[in-house]
Amino acid sequence: MRYPAGPDDPEHPATPGVRPFLRGKEAPPAPQEVAPALRPFVITSGRVAAIDPDIGLETQVSALPSAYYARLSPEQRAIVQLCRDPLSLAEISAQLRMHFGVTRILVCDLRAAGHLDVHVLQSDFPDPDTIMRVIRGLRSIP
Amino acid sequence: MPETPPRRKAPVPVKIIVAGGFGVGKTTTVGAISEISPLTTEAEMTMESVGVDVPGQATAKTTTTIAMDFGCVTIDQTLKLYLFGTPGQSRFSFMWDDLVRGALGALVVVDTSRIDDCYPAVDYFERAGLPFVVGVNTFNGQLGYNLDEVRWALAVRDEVPVVQFDARFRGSVRDALLVVLDQALNKALRMRQ
Repeated sequence: MRYPAGPDDPEHPATPGVRPFLRGKEAPPAPQEVAPALRPFVITSGRVAAIDPDIGLETQVSALPSAYYARLSPEQRAIVQLCRDPLSLAEISAQLRMHFGVTRILVCDLRAAGHLDVHVLQSDFPDPDTIMRVIRGLRSIP
Repeated sequence: MPETPPRRKAPVPVKIIVAGGFGVGKTTTVGAISEISPLTTEAEMTMESVGVDVPGQATAKTTTTIAMDFGCVTIDQTLKLYLFGTPGQSRFSFMWDDLVRGALGALVVVDTSRIDDCYPAVDYFERAGLPFVVGVNTFNGQLGYNLDEVRWALAVRDEVPVVQFDARFRGSVRDALLVVLDQALNKALRMRQ
């Protein structure tokens, strides 16, 4: 597809008021592939990589008393307010209607700034005693 | 913010994944046992399309945002069980790495009228080495195929339990989850040795 060079181009006469692709037989070029779901990451300044892969959906987060509370962004402030009692990342994400990846980045930032305590677990798979407690707990459900 | 220490100590979280095709009853399963009504979070997943590729092209890997329903059960003050319902569609295989990390195990919910919907989940958990149980959801108490036929169709290893449950009833979901936990306990004991 070539655009007319100017109003005097004899091969491609310009027709005012008509979009170029509507005149020619050529199909318009396919739209460029755009990376999906980028917009939620505007509030993380475009960062998408999580800082700590050990922070998962179920990881518990609790607020720490902080002096610089007023300097936080509205999203960050909402997270700190929500976590006065320990809460999982998934619950924060759901309650604030915020993408999980975004929530995780904001939580990592807040931890680095000393506003949040993030309770990262050391072991990869729960130990037998923990599993036994879950089994006993579930069995007691009527 | 006032200088008050957190009122509660953070519990240790454990999680079980509830996987399966679209509309097989994952959210019903989570909702039947969860103490909160299921919440939804949106997360990103890497998706590898299978069977829809243009011949001659490399397998396309894309990232997609999916909605995940979840709920929780407080075991005691220091232990909390989370249940994450995750979609798995036929034709797409999801990379659940983030979700599966640290999980106790998975319950793969199966609707016998659309057994192949759960293939991606079964494939994934087999490869990831995550303990899983196939739970055949009995819609209205009816099973289209018996459990042996389901096992044959899925070609899962003998160690993988295939159980029947009803996603609408708490007791039934509890029993299915207990089978998952039994598998998880076996794995944890093997790892300790």
